[in-house]
Amino acid sequence: MRAAIPCLIVGAAFGFVLGWAHLTNPDTLYNMLRLRELYVFLIMGSAIATATVGTQLLKARRARTLLGGEIVTWIRYPASRDHVIGSALFGLGWSMTNMCPAPIASMIGQRQWTGLFIAAGVFAGIALRDAHAARMARRTAAPGEAAVPEGAGL
Amino acid sequence: MDFFAERAPWYLAGPAIGLMVVALLWACNRTFGALGGFIDLLAWARTPRIPPRHTVYFFIGLLIGGFVYAIAGGVQPGWAYGTFDQRFGVAPATRMVMLVLAATVMGYGTRMASGCTSGHGICGTSLGSPRSIVSTITFMGTAILAANAVGAIVGIPR
Repeated sequence: MRAAIPCLIVGAAFGFVLGWAHLTNPDTLYNMLRLRELYVFLIMGSAIATATVGTQLLKARRARTLLGGEIVTWIRYPASRDHVIGSALFGLGWSMTNMCPAPIASMIGQRQWTGLFIAAGVFAGIALRDAHAARMARRTAAPGEAAVPEGAGL
Repeated sequence: MDFFAERAPWYLAGPAIGLMVVALLWACNRTFGALGGFIDLLAWARTPRIPPRHTVYFFIGLLIGGFVYAIAGGVQPGWAYGTFDQRFGVAPATRMVMLVLAATVMGYGTRMASGCTSGHGICGTSLGSPRSIVSTITFMGTAILAANAVGAIVGIPR
């Protein structure tokens, strides 16, 4: 698959920077959530600013992908109730764990074994949601129609 | 190497992450984010005959990047988890139970919202996706409120 190598490289770069920025230490996230320091907000803000400028440049220049030469493009999805409820649940869990999906993986790579327990919880939560969504879809779908939960992405 | 043991300055770490979003889109039209790796790793475990999606490679990359950082920054393997145990006055075993339960809520919520801090918070907001902007405001707001409410109740000084 063409995207495998870029994903591996970018994932590795991200995992490294998360470690270097001590975002794999729960105290860094906790200090942000308690509004003790601006560090994480500054990282998120400058990351968003850089990515906004960079992706708009790609769009303005009608850039083509380096692999495959397709036009660089993306889809903007509308917000729904699920995004509000889901994100509120995520925020509640996050306020306790002080660790979100990307740092969890980087943390495990750093052999910080507590990360395995957090990852186990995240996997369980995803499985629960999938089971729940499938049950709801089955209830509303016509008999015989396959219930497919919404895919990942943006 | 002390250079990497010291916390990275935000003005290096932030723009570097932003450039990663741009690089991934430019390279292969893929959006940046960690949650998909968890979802698709689970899907792959359920049906190993279907090859893993690109997000699984992102996840493997995160593991590798973390390992390389641990070597560069001199991080020793272990079970430490910051000041969590002291803050809540719990033993490591209780900590693990608390973390598994809270992470289950996190996993359910991110799956329902189709994204996490990296996917919605950084990538989706940069791309101007309404669902990402709504999600980011919601989880940042909820997490800040909840952390400070619990901190006040348990008596953790700010």
